[in-house]
Amino acid sequence: MTTLRSMTTYQGIPVWRHVQVIQWATQILSGILVVVLVVWFFANIANAVQEREIPSGFSFLDREYQTPIGQHFLPYESSDSFLYAFAVGATNTVIVSIVGVILATALGIVIGVARLSGNWVVAKIALAYVEFFRNVPLLVQLFFWFYIVLALPQVRQGYVIADSVYINNGGMSIPFPVPSTWEAAITWFALAIIAVAAGEVVNRLLTRREILTGASTYPLISGWATAIVIGAAGWIVVGLLNGAAPLTISVPEPQGTFGRIVGGFTVAGGLVALLAGLVTYTSSFIAEIVRAGIQSVGRGQVEAARALGLPAMEALRHVTFPQALRVIVPPLISQYLNLTKNSSLAGAIGYADLTNVAKTMTQTAPAVSIYILLMAAYLAMSLTYSLIGNLYNRRIKF
Amino acid sequence: MASSTDIGRGGPLPPPRPTTGVVGWMRVNLFSTRFNSVLTIVSGIILLVSLWYGLGWMIFSADWTVIGVLGGQMIIGQYNIEAACNGQNCFWRPQAGLLLVSALLGMAWGVAGNGLTKRIAILVVVVIAAFALLPYSLDTMGMDVRALLVANLPALGVGWALARYTPLGTPKWIVIFGVVIFFVILVLLRGVPGVPGLQPVSVIYWGGLMLNLLLAVAGIVISLPIGIALALGRRSQLPVVKLMCIVFIEVFRGVPLITLLFMSQVLVPLAFPENFPQNSLFRAAVVITLFSAAYMAENIRGGLQALHPGQAEAARALGLPGWQTTMLISLPQAIRNVIPAIVGQFIALFKDTSLVYIIGMLDVVEISRAFIQGNTEYLASAKELFIFLALVFWVFTYGMSYVSRRIEQHLGVGER
Amino acid sequence: MEETTGPEEMIVCRDVHKWYGDFHALRGITTTVNRREVVVAFGPSGSGKSTFIRTINRLEDHQRGDIIVDGIELTDDVRNIDAIRRDVGMVFQSFNLFPHLTVKSNITLAPIKVRHMPSDEADDIAMSLLERVGIPEQADKYPTELSGGQQQRVAIARALAMQPKIMLFDEPTSALDPEMIKEVLDVMQELAESGMTMIVVTHEMGFAREVADRMMMFDEGIVVEDGSPHQIFEDPQSDRTKLFLSQIL
Repeated sequence: MTTLRSMTTYQGIPVWRHVQVIQWATQILSGILVVVLVVWFFANIANAVQEREIPSGFSFLDREYQTPIGQHFLPYESSDSFLYAFAVGATNTVIVSIVGVILATALGIVIGVARLSGNWVVAKIALAYVEFFRNVPLLVQLFFWFYIVLALPQVRQGYVIADSVYINNGGMSIPFPVPSTWEAAITWFALAIIAVAAGEVVNRLLTRREILTGASTYPLISGWATAIVIGAAGWIVVGLLNGAAPLTISVPEPQGTFGRIVGGFTVAGGLVALLAGLVTYTSSFIAEIVRAGIQSVGRGQVEAARALGLPAMEALRHVTFPQALRVIVPPLISQYLNLTKNSSLAGAIGYADLTNVAKTMTQTAPAVSIYILLMAAYLAMSLTYSLIGNLYNRRIKF
Repeated sequence: MASSTDIGRGGPLPPPRPTTGVVGWMRVNLFSTRFNSVLTIVSGIILLVSLWYGLGWMIFSADWTVIGVLGGQMIIGQYNIEAACNGQNCFWRPQAGLLLVSALLGMAWGVAGNGLTKRIAILVVVVIAAFALLPYSLDTMGMDVRALLVANLPALGVGWALARYTPLGTPKWIVIFGVVIFFVILVLLRGVPGVPGLQPVSVIYWGGLMLNLLLAVAGIVISLPIGIALALGRRSQLPVVKLMCIVFIEVFRGVPLITLLFMSQVLVPLAFPENFPQNSLFRAAVVITLFSAAYMAENIRGGLQALHPGQAEAARALGLPGWQTTMLISLPQAIRNVIPAIVGQFIALFKDTSLVYIIGMLDVVEISRAFIQGNTEYLASAKELFIFLALVFWVFTYGMSYVSRRIEQHLGVGER
Repeated sequence: MEETTGPEEMIVCRDVHKWYGDFHALRGITTTVNRREVVVAFGPSGSGKSTFIRTINRLEDHQRGDIIVDGIELTDDVRNIDAIRRDVGMVFQSFNLFPHLTVKSNITLAPIKVRHMPSDEADDIAMSLLERVGIPEQADKYPTELSGGQQQRVAIARALAMQPKIMLFDEPTSALDPEMIKEVLDVMQELAESGMTMIVVTHEMGFAREVADRMMMFDEGIVVEDGSPHQIFEDPQSDRTKLFLSQIL
C-alpha cells in the first residue's frame, strides 16, 4: 500500500493532482497525438508512392522540359532543363508581384486619401470603388479584364497612343530602353548607382549642416541635383567613348499585313489582364488600410502639432504620417503577400506563373516532387515578406 | 468687454444662423476652397460622363441574353442534366433544400423578433419567390418549378410560427436545426441508392452558385472551431503543441489556395487509405476549410492578445478552472472584438470558392467561363456575363459585411 | 500541516521567496494573519506588496517557503489551489469586470459554474450583495455603463458571492477619481466591521488608521516594519517607514 502510494505521488502530491505533472502529461500526450497524425499522413503518402509505383525523386530536374512557356522574362527555350523552367516560372511570378505591388500601392494610397477627402463627390467615388472591387472575387475580375482584352481590335485596327504605345488584342506594347552595347550599359548603370549614392551623401551632409547651423541649404534638391549631374555626365562620357548612347529607346512598330509588333516591349494580353485585375483588387484593400492608418492617428496629435505652430503640411509630414505608417505597414505587407499569392490565378487567363508552370510540369514529371518544390518556393516568398515586416517592426520602437 | 456682461445679464444668445440647407451643405462639402471646387467639377464631370456611357451601354448596347441562355445552370450547374439524373426530374431536390433554408430563416425571425433579422429573412425569401415570375415559357421552366419557388413564402411563415408557438423558439434549437438541415440538404442532393425519387447524383454534376454556397457554408461552420483550436494552441505554453500550430498556420497561409487545391487532387487520395470514400467535392471542402481555419486562427489570436490579462486573472481568482476561464471569459470577448475580421474572412472564403475550377468543378464562375469557351458565338457577351457574376457575388458579400456592421453596432452596448 | 495552524490563524507565511527571472521580488516574507484581522500592506511601488498578496491565491507561484491558507498548504496540488481560490476573494486595481456580461451575470458566474449553485439562488445572492454595496438598480446594466466607483463595488460583490473566508484588495482605489474613492472605502469598512479577514494593499492612510488592525510596510521585497496603525503613524521604527510616510502624508 505504501509503495503504491509513493509510486503515484510526486513531491508528496498524487500525480493526477500535481500542476507540473498535469502540464507535462498534456504536453507529452498532445505532442504524441500530433506527431502520430503527421507521421500517419506522410507514411500513407510514402506507402502509396511505393505501392502504387508513383514516380518520385528529383532526378527529372536535369531533364529537358520540352514544353513552351508563354510570356517569360528570363530567356527560355524548350531545350532548357526542368529546374531552369521552374526558375522561369518563379521569375514570372516575382516580376508580376513587384509591378503589381508598386501599382497597387500607388493607386491604393490615392484612393485611401480620397476616402478621407472633405470633398463629398471624391469621397463617395472612392467609397464606391472600394466597396465594389474588394467584394467581387478576383477570378471574376480577371476573366472580365481578360475578355475585354480579347475583345480589343487586332493590331492594324488597334489603339495607338502618341505613335508609341499600341493597345490591341495581343496586349500592350510600350517603348522600352535597350542597351546599345552591354559593356556601355553596365558601365553607365554602375555610374548611375554611384550618382545616386553621391546624391544621398550630399543630402545627409546638408541636412546635418542645416540642423547644426540653422542655415537653409535645400538638402533634398541639392542631393537630387548632384545625382542628376553625375548621371548625365556619365551618360555623355560613356556615350562618347562608346560611339552611341548607352541605352536607346526601342519604339514598338507594327510590321507586315498582320501587324506583328516589332521593337519596344510587349506585355501579353494575359499579363495585362492579370495586372489590371490584381491592381484594382489589391488597391481596394490597400485603400482601406491607408484610411484606417490615417484615422488611427488621434485628433489630439494633429492639434498638438498645430498648437506648436507647425503648418498643416509639416504637421502631416512629421506627425501624422510617421504614426500612421506604424499602423499601415504590417497589414500592407500582408496585402503584398496576398497579391503575390493571388498571382497564382494567372493560369486561368493564360499567363505562365509559377503555379501554372508547375501544374503543366506534373504531366511529365513526378507530381509529389514538384509539389515540394512549389511549396518551398511560395514559403520562401512569404518568409521574405515576413522578414521585411519583422525588420520594420524592429526599427519602430514607439 | 461690455458685451460680455450684456450676455451675462441677458441670458444665452441664440446660436449663429446654421450653415445647413442644400446651399450650406454644398458650400461645406463641395466648394469650401478653390481647389475643392475644381476637384468637385472635374470629378463630377468624370462621374457623369462614365455614368452616361455606362448606363447607356447597360440599357441599350449590352446583350444580356447570355444570362437567360445559361439560366438555371448558373444556379445548380449540371445537376439536372440527363447524364446526372437519369430519366427523372431532380430539380425539386435543391429546391426542397431551399424551402428548408427559408423555414430556418423564418425561425430566426421568430426568435430574434422584429428588426434586422426580420428584414433580411423577408428580403431573401421574396427575392427567391420572385424568380417564379421570370418571363420563361413553360417548357423552359415548368409550373412545378414556379410553384416550389413561391412555396418559399409559406415556408418562411411555417418557420416563424414554429419559433413563436412551440418550445422550439430558442437560439439553441436554431443552431441544432441549422446543422440538421445542412446534412439533410447534403443527403437530398446526393440521393440514397434504392429509394425511388432519390437516385444518387454524382458530385461531379453539382455546380453553379449552389456549389459555391455549399462550400462556403461548410467552410465557415467548420473553420471557426478549428481556427479557435489553432489559436489556443498557438498561445499554449506547451512548446510541442505551439510549434505544430505555428507550422500548420504558416504553411497554409504561405501557399496560395489554388496551389493547395491542385495539390490536394493528388495528395489527399494518397494520404488516406485506398478504400476511403472521397471525391473532388470532399477534397475541395477539406482544403478550403483548413486554409480558412489558418486565417481564422490568426484573427482570433489577435483578439485574444488584445484582451487585458486582468480578465483571465479575475476569473482564476474567482476559482474558475483554466478551461472555463477560456470558454466563458477569454474566447467570448476575443471573438466579439474581432467580429469584423471574422466576417471579412467569411467573405474572403466565399469569394475563394470560385477557385475550385482548378480541380475541374463547375462552380458558377467556371460554368460561365466554360460556356463562353464552348460557344464562341457568345464571346462578345463575356463582358455582360462577368459583370452579372460580379453583381451576384457583390450582393452576397456586401450583404455579409452590412450584417456584420449592424452586429457590431448592436454589440457596442457591452463594449469597453 | 494541520497542527501548525490553529483555528485563529487564517494565513501563515513562512520565509516566502519569489523571483521573476533574476529579479528577487519577495525575499523571505514571514507573517501570520488571524481570523477577522484587517491588514494594510503599503510601501513604494515595486516593493513586492502586490506580488505578496497575489501569491496568496496563486496568481503568482512562490518558489521557496510555505503559504498555508485556512489550514491548506499552497503546493502544486491542483486540488489545494482550487480550494484556496474558492475561499479567497480578490479585488483588483483595474476592477477586471467581465465586459461581455451584465452586472448580475458577473456576480453569479462563479457561484453557478464553480459552486454549482442553482441560478435562482445565485440571483438572490447577487441581488442581496448588490443591495449591500448600494447599487441594486444597476443589476441588468453592463459594466461599461457604470462609473468607476460603481464598477469597483460590483467587483467586491462579485468576490463576496463566492462566500470567501478571506478578501484580498490590490490597490482597489488607485484607479478611481477622488470623489469615488470614499464610496468604495465605505463598503470595505463595512466589510471589515462584519468580521471579514482582509489584506488590503492601499495608500489610503485614513482608511488604514481607522480600519486596520495591523500595518505592514514593504520595501525591496521584505517587510521593513509591522505594527499597529497607532505605532506606525506615531512612532515609526524604521527610517524607510518615516521617509515613506513623510512623502505620502
